[in-house]
Amino acid sequence: MSITPEERLNVAMTINGRRYRAGVEARKTLADFIREDAQLPGTKLGCEHGVCGSCTVLLDDLPARSCLTLAVQAEGRQIRTVESLADGQELNTLQRAFREQHGLQCGFCTAGFLMTATALLEENPAPTREDIVETVSGSLCRCTGYETIVAAIEQAAADGAEGNDDAKDGAQ
Amino acid sequence: MKPPKFSYVAPTTLDDALKHLASDPDAKVLSGGQSLMPLLAMRLAAPSILVDLQHVPNLSDIEDRGDHIRIGARVTHREIERSALLADRLPILSAAASHIAHPQIRSRGTFGGSTAHADPSGEWPTILLALSATMQAVGPHGNRTIEADDFFVGPFTSTLRDDEILTHVSIPTTRTAWSFQEAAVKKGDYGLALIAATGTPRGGVLVDPRVTVGAAVGSVTRLVAVERILTDEPLTDELAEEAAVAAAESVKPISDIHGSSDYRRKLVASLVRRAVVELKNGA
Repeated sequence: MSITPEERLNVAMTINGRRYRAGVEARKTLADFIREDAQLPGTKLGCEHGVCGSCTVLLDDLPARSCLTLAVQAEGRQIRTVESLADGQELNTLQRAFREQHGLQCGFCTAGFLMTATALLEENPAPTREDIVETVSGSLCRCTGYETIVAAIEQAAADGAEGNDDAKDGAQ
Repeated sequence: MKPPKFSYVAPTTLDDALKHLASDPDAKVLSGGQSLMPLLAMRLAAPSILVDLQHVPNLSDIEDRGDHIRIGARVTHREIERSALLADRLPILSAAASHIAHPQIRSRGTFGGSTAHADPSGEWPTILLALSATMQAVGPHGNRTIEADDFFVGPFTSTLRDDEILTHVSIPTTRTAWSFQEAAVKKGDYGLALIAATGTPRGGVLVDPRVTVGAAVGSVTRLVAVERILTDEPLTDELAEEAAVAAAESVKPISDIHGSSDYRRKLVASLVRRAVVELKNGA
């Protein structure tokens, strides 16, 4: 496949178990595809150059910054966003832990933290505090001071959170 | 912070990728995009066409070839971090991978991309120079190999030509004594100073030691004065001190908002001292 700057390329990917297809410019980021074409605004864009971590999603189950990935690079891939976590109005274990531990205030960075923590807990259901701190070091939060976020992920691990297996299965 | 407009192609063979790369002087290779995408977002780069390597086969393996390991350009930092083969045969790579940015970056960023980017604060350039690695490139006129000493020539500048693609890096496994030291304000930030030191231990001394510095200087560089001090000498705490002094005298650190030249000089001396002590304990 090859396109000029004026052309659009048909890109298809699976987001939260559902197939999405749209014609996009080569320069469109995965973040913008998720927000504009798939109409899933839970993924937030902070810095748009890979520093803040707010736009973190799972790309084939691995955490990735959707602002540093082109939509065309995600062709045929499995994406999970923050919308995959809750079951209707019911928060999952990780989200509940964030609420109970006050792991968010303004909420702008939260989707990125939740998806980063989801990837961590799926790979390592019993992380040490050091593992958690290391993992969330790639996301910026200007409200909480991070302590409550680390506490929330510790609680989620203790409560047996393993990400959202239903969404993961549905996406495969 | 949106990327500028560009053309895009995702070829399925290396030959096709080379043709597209040669077709336009402003064509750029896209691998993981973790350095290129920020440059695009900040409009510091404006390539006419991106040649995406994601569908080009045979660039994603880590292969044991006896006296060396061959790493494909598309292997991610995350794969290096978790490779059992590298943990066994080239543990300096496993140790350094965790210093590269953050998990979200390491899952996408690639070994070859970072190497070709030749960022002076990059972990891989600093380490590949210390490991005496060999780069394998392919271009319109065939393959060529480039020694690390001839590859990194300036800030963000390698001797890879615009119409060439870095496909693999071969790293000798004989340098079993190693140390990697990085000083950064916060884990995952760009380092203020990096030191990599390697050598082949023989009879209580190091044969052919190589010591390199990154981040503190404009381009990754060997600390030849330090290497000379370490050559064929029993490693002691006194020798570590001598090496640290030589490093401070020979290095010409950059100065910026993150650290003055003087501060970085002290960091380089401390990291060299720690590296030699670690070599001593490991050799």
